[in-house]
Amino acid sequence: MAGIVKKAATGLTGLAVAPNPHHTLSVLYAKILRTLQNIPQDAAYRRYTEQIIKERALAVSEEKDIKKLEDRINCGQVEELMVQAENELILARKMQVWKPWEPLVSEPAANQWKWPV
Amino acid sequence: MAASGRIFRGISSLVSRKGKCVSGFLPNISPSLMSSNAIFRYNSTESRPTIRKIDAVATSTLMDFGLYVAECMPKYVQKVQIVTGNELEVLVAPQGIVPVLHFLKDHHQCQFASLADIGAMDVPSRENRFEIIYNLLSLRFNSRIRVKSYTDELTPVDSCYEVFKAADWYEREIWDMYGVFFANHPDLRRILTDYGFEGHPFRKDFPLTGYVEVRYDDEVKRVVVEPVELAQEFRKFDLSSPWETFPNLRTLPAGTEEDPKATQTGPVKQ
Repeated sequence: MAGIVKKAATGLTGLAVAPNPHHTLSVLYAKILRTLQNIPQDAAYRRYTEQIIKERALAVSEEKDIKKLEDRINCGQVEELMVQAENELILARKMQVWKPWEPLVSEPAANQWKWPV
Repeated sequence: MAASGRIFRGISSLVSRKGKCVSGFLPNISPSLMSSNAIFRYNSTESRPTIRKIDAVATSTLMDFGLYVAECMPKYVQKVQIVTGNELEVLVAPQGIVPVLHFLKDHHQCQFASLADIGAMDVPSRENRFEIIYNLLSLRFNSRIRVKSYTDELTPVDSCYEVFKAADWYEREIWDMYGVFFANHPDLRRILTDYGFEGHPFRKDFPLTGYVEVRYDDEVKRVVVEPVELAQEFRKFDLSSPWETFPNLRTLPAGTEEDPKATQTGPVKQ
């Protein structure tokens, strides 16, 4: 019986307990990985993000117990992980527009970052 | 007391043998003993005990993180530096303010979800005279970062209101004090100065006395605004000192503030 007792609250204002975190997280991670496909392979952002997301997706698929999953990822409760994944998804979509892997857009003036002047 | 005296002698013998700072040996002694033993403190060979120590490990971790940001956003990041020992600064091109802030807020490894403050700085001798400074806090990783960019009087900067809602009033303050225009800001109005105020008081070319003064006029029975009248003629004082005020800043390259004395060994107490 103890195994199926649901968490009463996350303890964080405005963050409700997720009914099915494994499903939601795996869907979000799959979406992020699909979005990252549109970014060039050698872009550092894609490499690092893919590495993080694949690691977390593996943990989600392997750990069925929520507490163990949270301990393994070690970045907050599953509800917080969902928020982080949603943020990353939005960011990855915007990155396609910004293309930050391109060379530097403008050089600063010679004395711009010199301090004291 | 006997035990502490023994430890003290042990330390002093180490000091005389090694001839330099004992900080490497301090963890072997209990903290209570260190604080209670005045003799120990007096005799320690630490050369600058009141100066904050810089944690080399934490600093290199910060620098690694700064390089990580620069690697992920090479289009926008111009420079990464550590100032005053342990403060990480990312210097970005003005086009990249919103992308870099968005990256720092939403990326898994950053999560700087809190915008602590936005500041600005006026350096009239530069081509782009205003520096805009964003201070971010990551509650997840208990870490802070500073993002800096620049602009001049006429070029608008992209508002980061879409990333941080907290930027609303901060950007209004900068608009009010410096006259930096933020594009796409939902409500860019004066916020600190009085109704009908003209000018931007934090600019270096704004006079200390202001342009107008306000007083109550008994004849017209209301507060009147008049151009400021100085009691004496304006005199130009030459306040520059013949001595060099900050010799320590002379040779240091920008962005590093290292203490040259810190590398020297402290005096050996016999």
